[in-house]
Amino acid sequence: MANSTYQFDFKDLKLNSSMIETVLGYKEGEDREIVTSLIKEILTESQEISDIKAEYKVFNDVQFDNETRSVEINNIAFQVKKIVFAQLKRSDSVAIFLCTAGDEIGIRSRKAMQERDYLKGYIYDVVGSEIVEAAVDLMQADLEKTLLDSGKKNTNRYSPGYCGWDVAEQHKLFRLIPENYCGIRLTPSALMDPVKSVSGIIGIGKNVRFNPYTCGLCDMKDCNYRRARETRKH
Amino acid sequence: MNEILDKIAQCVEFGKINKTSPYPPNMKDQDGADELAKRALEEGVKPDEILENALIPAMANVGNKFSKKEIYVPQMLMAAKAMNSAMMHLKPFFLSGETKRKGKFIIGTVSGDLHDIGKNLVAMMIEGGGWEVIDLGVDVGAEKFLKAMDEHPDAIVGLSALLTTTMENMKKIVTAIKEKYSASKILVGGAPVTREYCEKIGADFYSPDPQGAVNYLKQLAS
Repeated sequence: MANSTYQFDFKDLKLNSSMIETVLGYKEGEDREIVTSLIKEILTESQEISDIKAEYKVFNDVQFDNETRSVEINNIAFQVKKIVFAQLKRSDSVAIFLCTAGDEIGIRSRKAMQERDYLKGYIYDVVGSEIVEAAVDLMQADLEKTLLDSGKKNTNRYSPGYCGWDVAEQHKLFRLIPENYCGIRLTPSALMDPVKSVSGIIGIGKNVRFNPYTCGLCDMKDCNYRRARETRKH
Repeated sequence: MNEILDKIAQCVEFGKINKTSPYPPNMKDQDGADELAKRALEEGVKPDEILENALIPAMANVGNKFSKKEIYVPQMLMAAKAMNSAMMHLKPFFLSGETKRKGKFIIGTVSGDLHDIGKNLVAMMIEGGGWEVIDLGVDVGAEKFLKAMDEHPDAIVGLSALLTTTMENMKKIVTAIKEKYSASKILVGGAPVTREYCEKIGADFYSPDPQGAVNYLKQLAS
């Protein structure tokens, strides 16, 4: 269980137009003719251009400092801040993960934006984000299944840049994993290339729990993803 | 003359780019903002009139509808594209100086952050408000903002951030700009940004939506 590598097929993600429309903010019964055909076109294109990879590496050398709310993994201290610390502190080990949708979808989004085809650029961007999130969901589901066999559980995943965890700590996170892991490189300002990539940490242990609704923990009250989740709930 | 301006405004507001664009369906096979702006100029309508009486009010309607959540980002982007198709015909007049913009606006997403949709929406709306927009892109640090300010010292500056943690970089950039250009006006925005945070870091204005930024700039220019 120490490391796992995944290469997903786009079809594994089971993304469809209506899921993307919900992320864009559309509600049941609202006219969305403007976007539906474009989303379908980009989803079809994404089957060809996506290169979806995910990997995680499990670390057993983990210490938690309640006073500084920091997590030390293999002697590297992460200042994960209050929200993330509270979710991770009962972990016996942690998984560091990376996942990417590949280069191309981000490139096409930027190109469309530069050509002032804003709607197309935006939909590439949203589809790219959904691809990478759906892929991490699959990776996390597989990790959960593996853990269940050994009587363990996992927390939600947390990424630098969110919940007060400084995005600059990506540099530390990348020190824990082999170079070019998943084909992802880090820029000096801690951004990932390919753009449509995610990185983060998942707590593992007998006393941790998965929180099905984490949006309530976050500071971003007017986020598209929160709105989409609220819509799905009702 | 008013009729063609009204038609241009309607095309922009509803995202009718040109004759071949299928959206919106009720305007199918009709001329779009592109053809109508070209024809208006050929018929002797002044570029200023197209800007002031068609493009700016149409984009203001779009911005207000977005603020009231009556439309979503896709409709706004279609409107911006329609506005651009008309604006392309006005570009030569901007370059020659015959038509004046209201001013210059420098915008960028702050360093450590590459979220650009919100920043792009603000840039489009401000351009639609009659301003020249200098878009520095994403992951922009203080140095790049200052370089742009050196080139355009009278410009108003807009900073965008989507991550709670890159808001700190927003503070550093505001401080650096105010140190060198104390009279400059800086707008901040992005999902985690608040009015309180804007005041705390010494920025001049916060808006939760693009139209608020357009209205603030309008106030500054009047």
